Amino acid sequence: MIDVKDINHTFLLGKKQNETALPVLKNISFSVDKGEILAITGKSGSGKSTLLNIIGGFMKPTSGSVWIKDMNVTNLNEGEYADFRLDNIGFIFQNFQLIPSMTAFENIELPLVLKGLSEKERKKKTEQTLEQVGLSDYHHHYPSELSGGQQQRVSIARTLVIEPPIILADEPTGSLDSETEQEILDLITGLNRNIGITFLMITHDEEVARIASKQIHIHDGEIVKEEVSA
Amino acid sequence: MTFKDQWRFVRNNMKRSKSRIFMTVLATAMGVAFLIVLASVGFGLHTTFIDDIISDRSVTKIQISGIEKENDIAPITDEEITELEKVDNMKAVTRQLSLRQTPQFNMEDYNGRVETVVTHFPSELKAGMELKEGDLPEDPYEVVVGPHFIENLYPEDLPADEEIYDEEGMLKEEFKYGESLIGQEIEMVVEQNVDGETKEHEISLIITGIVEPPARDWMQDRQVYISDDVLTEVESFTETSRGAIVDPNYPEAEQEVTGYNYVYGYANSLEEVQEISEYLTEENYLVYSAASELDHLNTFFTIAKAGLIFIGTIAIIIASIGIYNTMTMAVTERTSDIGIMKAIGAHPKKIKQIFLLESSYIGLLGAFIGTVVAFVISILLNIGLPLIIESAFEQELPEGFQFSSIPPSLIVIAAVICLIVTVLSGLKPAKRATQIDVLKAMRREI
Ligand SMILES: Nc1ncnc2c1ncn2[C@@H]1O[C@H](COP(=O)(O)OP(=O)(O)OP(=O)(O)O)[C@@H](O)[C@H]1O
Ligand SMILES: [Mg+2]
Repeated sequence: MIDVKDINHTFLLGKKQNETALPVLKNISFSVDKGEILAITGKSGSGKSTLLNIIGGFMKPTSGSVWIKDMNVTNLNEGEYADFRLDNIGFIFQNFQLIPSMTAFENIELPLVLKGLSEKERKKKTEQTLEQVGLSDYHHHYPSELSGGQQQRVSIARTLVIEPPIILADEPTGSLDSETEQEILDLITGLNRNIGITFLMITHDEEVARIASKQIHIHDGEIVKEEVSA
Repeated sequence: MTFKDQWRFVRNNMKRSKSRIFMTVLATAMGVAFLIVLASVGFGLHTTFIDDIISDRSVTKIQISGIEKENDIAPITDEEITELEKVDNMKAVTRQLSLRQTPQFNMEDYNGRVETVVTHFPSELKAGMELKEGDLPEDPYEVVVGPHFIENLYPEDLPADEEIYDEEGMLKEEFKYGESLIGQEIEMVVEQNVDGETKEHEISLIITGIVEPPARDWMQDRQVYISDDVLTEVESFTETSRGAIVDPNYPEAEQEVTGYNYVYGYANSLEEVQEISEYLTEENYLVYSAASELDHLNTFFTIAKAGLIFIGTIAIIIASIGIYNTMTMAVTERTSDIGIMKAIGAHPKKIKQIFLLESSYIGLLGAFIGTVVAFVISILLNIGLPLIIESAFEQELPEGFQFSSIPPSLIVIAAVICLIVTVLSGLKPAKRATQIDVLKAMRREI
């Protein structure tokens, strides 16, 4: 499903970006199979987010390539990547990234609006998805009127609504308490099991990593351990 | 993403910064209103002048003042008249020549010297010469006179010590010939010097009609229109061409004169005037018509209008700075929203479209409000300006005078200019929106 081939990434820092070179990712290669939950673990600053952002197409790697569904996405331009994301990749962020001026319903509906679906279809799908994440009663709530866990559910619903084969999550439970964290993790495992969505999830929490079928441990931009759960 | 959804986005966005949008629309509307009002003066005066020309009965008239022959300009003679009468769509060709002396006319106890022109009445009839009173002559010794002819007829017992003219320089009513001129017998007295002695010859004529006054108030027609036969009699008496009086100091008088002084062609419509004029010009005739006057007028006003629209456009361009500002602020404010949308999979093109839609909406709204305001100002101008001019300069404006006029074409021009300017000024902010970096935008939110 996802093949990461020999990714290197170096940030150039300072004025005119020529003062210091900061290598963040070194020769990263791994693959994720369909229906897997892959957890990337590692200390803060080890380069996890950078890796995920490269896979998601938000930045270009210094070298190497990413293949998703047997397609080299590293070569796509911004617009092409956007279209590709809209059809194939959902994102869950640590800080939810909901649009504050839109209600829960509107936030979830947004990808469908971008896709140009009819209003009727949108309504049906959005309501279904709201129910799927257990927020049927929160249509008209704005993000500021929801708890952290509820906001993360909305954000998950927003990715679910387009039924993507892949979801990338950067510390999805990072800003939640342990109880809410468990709820979200249950939701993720449920989606993986029932719909077969492939997850690629960053966490620095061993508890969270436990739901994964495979773990990759990164240290200083290098994969130091790769293990498959029982 | 459908247009309807983009539109919904734009509306929601605009709701969040109502007063800012309002001010921007206001500035745009002022620019548009300024452009339209300014240009409307050009349009208004243009229509006024055109109406003035067209209301003149002589729009279908073509003045033919000569023909170019061997690098020289020759007057029109009977030879050309025959040719002219054959031209397609030529309704009539009238021709007049002036008598080369000003005869004295006697009628009962009144007399006066009046310019006399020889007219070909059958062609005048075809051309539709309009008479104020009476009929065109049928008999060679019948004549028509200009409407101001009586101004030149003075009573024989004119008092020497009394003012006979009124303030406007016209003969006072009490000295004027009071009866109707129609059917009156009038005596034309022509003179000639024979061996230093002045001889007179009298020709008796009957007035059958009075010509319609000229189109302009300030023009006067005091002439007597006689026929060819009368001219023949005059010439046989004076033995000079066109009744010229022999004068030792003025030897040209005895020369033969050919050609008509005034030749006019008549068409049925303004378009035909155009065609005929073009044809005649090709045939080396020197022509002038109201149509060509219109042509010049149109050229002048087209340039004037373009200039006014250009000046007005500057106002809109100034207003567009506001739009640029507003859009830049809108993009900055919504950076994180745009980042999120891009992360989800919004194509940069769609984001650009949303912002362009917003700036064009501001432009259109401004154009609409500006047009409405311009109409109000235009109406006030047309009512108020004549009042001001009349009271300040004690001068009456001609009837149907229109100072400002807003034709649909002007509205379209203003709207198009406004739209182009606003879209252009929204282009850069919209482009900036598409270049927003997803990661930076999302990081900002934390
Ligand atoms: N845009 C950037 N420009 C320069 N350096 C950056 C940039 N983004 C990240 N870095 C650097 O790259 C390194 C890796 O950062 P990254 O965000 O990938 O770490 P992380 O593993 O996600 O850490 P955390 O667990 O704290 O989120 C860090 O040293 C960071 O300072
Ligand atoms: Mg991180």
